[in-house]
Amino acid sequence: MGISKQRQQLLNRWAFILSIPLFFGGWEIISRSGMVNPVLFPPPTLVALALYKWATQGPLLVDIAMSLSRVLVGFISGAVAGILIGILTGRYQFIANLLTPVFQLLRPIPPIAFVPIVILWFGLSELGKWFLVFWGVFFTVWIAAHLGVQRVDKTLIRAAQCLGTPEQKMLPEVLLPGAMPYILVGLRTSVSISFYTLVAAELAGTFSGIAYRIDIAQQNLQVGQSLGGLIILGLISAMADKAFGVFSKKMVWWS
Amino acid sequence: MNPEIPLSTSTSPVAQPSRQYAAPIAGQSGHIAIDQIRIAFGTGKQSFLAVENFSLEIEPGEFVCLIGPSGCGKSTVLNSIAGFITPTQGTVSVDNRQIDGPGGDRGMVFQQPSLFPWKTVLGNVAHGPLMAGKSKAVAHGIAQDFLEMVGLANFKKHYPMMLSGGMQQRVAIARALANSPQVLLMDEPFGALDAQTRFMMQENLLKLWQDLKTTVVFVTHDIDEAIFLADRVVVMSANPGRILKDISIPLPRPRAIEILLDQKFATLKKDCFDLIRQESLLAFEQQKIGT
Ligand SMILES: Nc1ncnc2c1ncn2[C@@H]1O[C@H](COP(=O)(O)OP(=O)(O)OP(=O)(O)O)[C@@H](O)[C@H]1O
Ligand SMILES: [Mg+2]
Repeated sequence: MGISKQRQQLLNRWAFILSIPLFFGGWEIISRSGMVNPVLFPPPTLVALALYKWATQGPLLVDIAMSLSRVLVGFISGAVAGILIGILTGRYQFIANLLTPVFQLLRPIPPIAFVPIVILWFGLSELGKWFLVFWGVFFTVWIAAHLGVQRVDKTLIRAAQCLGTPEQKMLPEVLLPGAMPYILVGLRTSVSISFYTLVAAELAGTFSGIAYRIDIAQQNLQVGQSLGGLIILGLISAMADKAFGVFSKKMVWWS
Repeated sequence: MNPEIPLSTSTSPVAQPSRQYAAPIAGQSGHIAIDQIRIAFGTGKQSFLAVENFSLEIEPGEFVCLIGPSGCGKSTVLNSIAGFITPTQGTVSVDNRQIDGPGGDRGMVFQQPSLFPWKTVLGNVAHGPLMAGKSKAVAHGIAQDFLEMVGLANFKKHYPMMLSGGMQQRVAIARALANSPQVLLMDEPFGALDAQTRFMMQENLLKLWQDLKTTVVFVTHDIDEAIFLADRVVVMSANPGRILKDISIPLPRPRAIEILLDQKFATLKKDCFDLIRQESLLAFEQQKIGT
């Protein structure tokens, strides 16, 4: 009414630009106002300082590299296994009958519940971390690939058969690309799952990693570094999600 | 919208010398023998008899149209030649080999183009030759030839979704033919197209067929289309599906669309029409009693 359309658009733009500065500004003011205990709730400037120290005098880069490598190894192995087995169970009734009941039994177990057992099995080694992330990723991707294959247009499969496509070529030529849109949805969900699982894996016991450092800093009451670690984790997983969006577009170039 | 390339119909149907690959299939292959088949879906009380006592012999290079009311089993018969359905009784053979599954010797064009959306137009047409073990260069050469024959060589780098429905269906025809099948099966391939595009597609198909001498089994419920295309029109009836009449179409070839105005065409059309009308009325009465 009173506001013109242009003005409204300008306001909307500014709301977007100011969103993050306002958040940090408000946090800074509240932390410094005396309303809260600044030791437990340090302002963002102090968090930034803690991060800077962590990067220059501490092992920030190593921590990031360790966390990333755990996510990558677990995610890639879980994704590859999930896609392959999902295509097989989606296509062949025998394999589906053999594996689906077991998978449906194991799938609902939250990966975090495995932490104690994993420590017994693998100790504090990297293998245990990879296993947990793998567990989180595998079932999600498997289900997506399984359903994706079953939803591939039946006429497309028939067309391929009439063109003399042998069964073993059906997988790379028709089933995989046909199921790809579904698989990508599963993979994207798995990106965030793998970060959840990473945190659980690192809290359970290790010697490096972002979540590990958050835990240690908390024990030393270095809340600034803990919060800094959270921001780093948030940034990394947001970036992973963004990168995945770009990757998805490349993988389904035809739509 | 999408550019539709007009298909010239006046040019001679002789293969152009530039085409290396699109040659007529060798010898007298493409003989189809359907012997006393019976096809039932489901078992027990739910069982439904779709086709019964159906025999049909088709000579190499013949163009046969199957027509009949909706649900009479046209697609079922075609699918049994393709190998998607195994008859409960009786046999289907192509060139004296009994069919036991789908294969590259029997190409199929469906009502929907069913192109691989992740492949380019050229990639779609080259798929069959590649699967047959041809090198990429040869497969692309073949695909190029067949795309020229359907007038879409300029669109080879496009993806299917960038083409109109009629263009997609031409790609699907080129894809099926590029595999040099002995038999081309077509299930209402032009059913989803507008009348104008249909005429062009029909003329183009006849031209391709005269070049390649492939046996064609073409399902339609359009009587004009059947008579215009076919050497023989096989009229089916429903419940269960069986052959009502096998009408040969002695119209001269090459045929152009003007033949629709011919007196002989009109007589043939009336014969078919009367048959189907009687049959539809009968089916209608049966359905009334049945309920
Ligand atoms: N998989 C199936 N299971 C059960 N019944 C089926 C199956 N496929 C076809 N039928 C039945 O068999 C009959 C013949 O079907 P078909 O698809 O061959 O008919 P059609 O002549 O091709 O019909 P239209 O012109 O509508 O395509 C129909 O009554 C149909 O309901
Ligand atoms: Mg049908």
